[in-house]
Amino acid sequence: MIVTVKKRDGREMPFNIEKISAAIEKAFRASGELDEQIKASQDQLNLLGNDDVLSSTALQVAASAVGLLEAEGKVKPEIEEIQDAVEKALTEGGYADTAKSYILYRAERTRIREVNTRLMHTLRDITFSSAKESDLKRENANIDGDTAMGTMLKYGSESAKHFYTMMMLKPEHSRAHSEGDIHIHDLDFYSLTMTCCQIDLKKLFKGGFNTGHGHLREPKDIRSYAALAAIAIQSNQNDQHGGQSIPNFDYAMADGVRITYRKAYLSNLVKALILFTGKEEEEILPVVKKLHSEMAEMGMVATLVPNEKFQDAEARELSKVYDTEMVMKAQKFAEKQAYEETDKTTFQAMEAFVHNLNSMHSRAGAQTPFSSINYGMCTEPEARMVMRNLLLTTDEGLGGGETAIFPIQIFRVKEGISLNPGDPNYDLFKLACKVSAKRLFPNFSFQDAPYNLQYYKPGHPETEISYMGCRTRVIGNNYDPTREISFGRGNLSFTSINLPRIAIKMKSVDLFFKELDRMLQLVSDQLMERFAVQSRRKVKNFPFLMGQGVWIDSEKLGWEDTVGEVIKHGTLSIGFIGLAETLVALTGKHHGESEASQELGLKIIGHMREFCDKESKRLGLNFSLLATPAEGLSGRFVRMDKKKFGIIPGVTDRDYYTNSFHVPVYYKISAFKKLSLEAPYHALTNAGHISYVELDGDPTQNLDAFEKIVHHMAKVGIGYGSINHPVDRDPVCGFVGVIGDCCPRCGRSEGHAISEAKIEELRKLYPGMPAFKGIR
Amino acid sequence: MSEKELSKYGEGVGFERIRRITGYLVGTIDRFNNAKRAEVNDRVKHGV
Repeated sequence: MIVTVKKRDGREMPFNIEKISAAIEKAFRASGELDEQIKASQDQLNLLGNDDVLSSTALQVAASAVGLLEAEGKVKPEIEEIQDAVEKALTEGGYADTAKSYILYRAERTRIREVNTRLMHTLRDITFSSAKESDLKRENANIDGDTAMGTMLKYGSESAKHFYTMMMLKPEHSRAHSEGDIHIHDLDFYSLTMTCCQIDLKKLFKGGFNTGHGHLREPKDIRSYAALAAIAIQSNQNDQHGGQSIPNFDYAMADGVRITYRKAYLSNLVKALILFTGKEEEEILPVVKKLHSEMAEMGMVATLVPNEKFQDAEARELSKVYDTEMVMKAQKFAEKQAYEETDKTTFQAMEAFVHNLNSMHSRAGAQTPFSSINYGMCTEPEARMVMRNLLLTTDEGLGGGETAIFPIQIFRVKEGISLNPGDPNYDLFKLACKVSAKRLFPNFSFQDAPYNLQYYKPGHPETEISYMGCRTRVIGNNYDPTREISFGRGNLSFTSINLPRIAIKMKSVDLFFKELDRMLQLVSDQLMERFAVQSRRKVKNFPFLMGQGVWIDSEKLGWEDTVGEVIKHGTLSIGFIGLAETLVALTGKHHGESEASQELGLKIIGHMREFCDKESKRLGLNFSLLATPAEGLSGRFVRMDKKKFGIIPGVTDRDYYTNSFHVPVYYKISAFKKLSLEAPYHALTNAGHISYVELDGDPTQNLDAFEKIVHHMAKVGIGYGSINHPVDRDPVCGFVGVIGDCCPRCGRSEGHAISEAKIEELRKLYPGMPAFKGIR
Repeated sequence: MSEKELSKYGEGVGFERIRRITGYLVGTIDRFNNAKRAEVNDRVKHGV
């Protein structure tokens, strides 16, 4: 006789046969197997009601299930055992369809229970472990998982992922993602946002803009230009799940310098005239102001590099009122003073800009905006002043001399503009190398790489190549070939393929390509599913991105309009990681070791690119191939493959898969060779790419070598590159550079203390030393 | 010895080590996930 049952959590509960029959009833309803019998009983006005047919049959089946259990001698059956018995009783009773629906019902319940359990485990991990011990909390290093808002963000993110996996993704996509064949990036934002955008600041600033929390007027000097640039990045960050970039930082900020100079020139001219003529400000100021505004209407304004047309006209007019010699002297004074003041103000503006981007909050305070800026091509003196000061403040570092993490700076390199001695911006390129050798930024983008050059039209900054700092690149436009520009566009979503797994499974090259094709099609379909969800979003869902006309053509839409049409300018990208491991699995050697492997590598990536081009044509959209950054993904695929296939030397024997098409980080190779091998992949990965090399020691001591590497990047056709070197800092004495076991400045080793006397002694040598706020 | 010579600044304070994680920086290495940490440890220098 069964009195109690054992629940899944181990508790014993009183046995209740009605619970079993209720589940069986549901199964009968789902299968419809009793429908005819019920109908018959209704038609005959049988004494038994229709529900009674159902419940009595269910009870009968439940009773025979109990009989089966008792026959097996079970006294305290477990839930699973009871369910097995019910399945058996249904089959034996001749209710095959109902047995089937009961099994399905059971499987569905199990799935929901597992997902719920997993979600609860995840939430518990987020709640009770610190980022130090929880890998999950360090999935994205830019989010501080230890803070309250960081934790809240993680709750939301993990719950959203579970929800979309269960309720929104097609089962085949969901399965491929959770089993690690593919990785759907930013799944937590699946139904909400697109990835990123290149913000055209010039367009945004015209007439001012609204952050959603208030209107900001058109900026009126370089300080407000820089402040508003940071606010624009911050505001847009909240409407997207990826990063924000400014493609025309040099051009846009130059406008601010122009206005600042004009104002400074006017005020200094007035000051000089007051001094020289002995007249009052009330008399002079209106005269000069009126003159300047009349001249401005005729297109004559004071400029950073003085222009004769303005100077002469101004001298002529002012000489009618004041002594000519005095006027000329005042002009000279005003030019010199205004230049110096503008330069100083610009430096402060850039300093504040960098500080803002490293301290202002986005995403409820969990992180600073993920920001990038592109510059380097504008040769106007005002733009050059902006770039020089930006580089100088980057070189100085933040308040305590720390290296700024944001913005990611991308210096555009082009022959005839910045690459070679004699080029108008060569001095800035040299400075960029020097700063990068100390601070890791700027990175370098290469306008002359053929696949970048093909879009470039001189005099049209929107056709210059722009990168999102992480590497994303948007320029070609299959949807609208008349708009092959970067401004106002970005990536919509991307999904990466686990390339090494295909190689491990398929073993032969032929089969590899077959399976790769299947996977490419699966990802394309998944991207289109997501695109359909994104297309249904409305302008009001993106108050800044779409509401303020940041995204291309969104200014033509109304608040309630869907964004489906305008987001066709964005890209749907297919990514990949672990080309090196893929090649090892297929041939035994990666592309750093063997020419044949390099050839195969290019064939694989070339094939993927062809697929993207084909899908673009077929669907009239922009499919592109991405060399996935894979911060969080680097460990996920290999962990799963290790479990599935065991340790395979050179393939699954490390804790990470190699980034995109890179030559493995552990492989000894010269910087030049590495870059030459990786460059051809840049040409194929039109959704974005980056290559970097690791330099030993302190590259600021060898700037020639640094510059040589950048030149080599340009020569071999790298699109976007950077040079890595250790950047260490001792927070106690403020030293920045390479620190081995001991700090070269104060001599302390990691974790050890120095005395206050020593600090005072050092401060005499290094007056800029920050005050250490730690406890003694 | 005077108090100044005896006082201890920076006991238990480590060095900050910034490395490029992919195309971007993320602050010091202790914020890297396990896989990325392993990768950074494996990185070899490239000769020029």
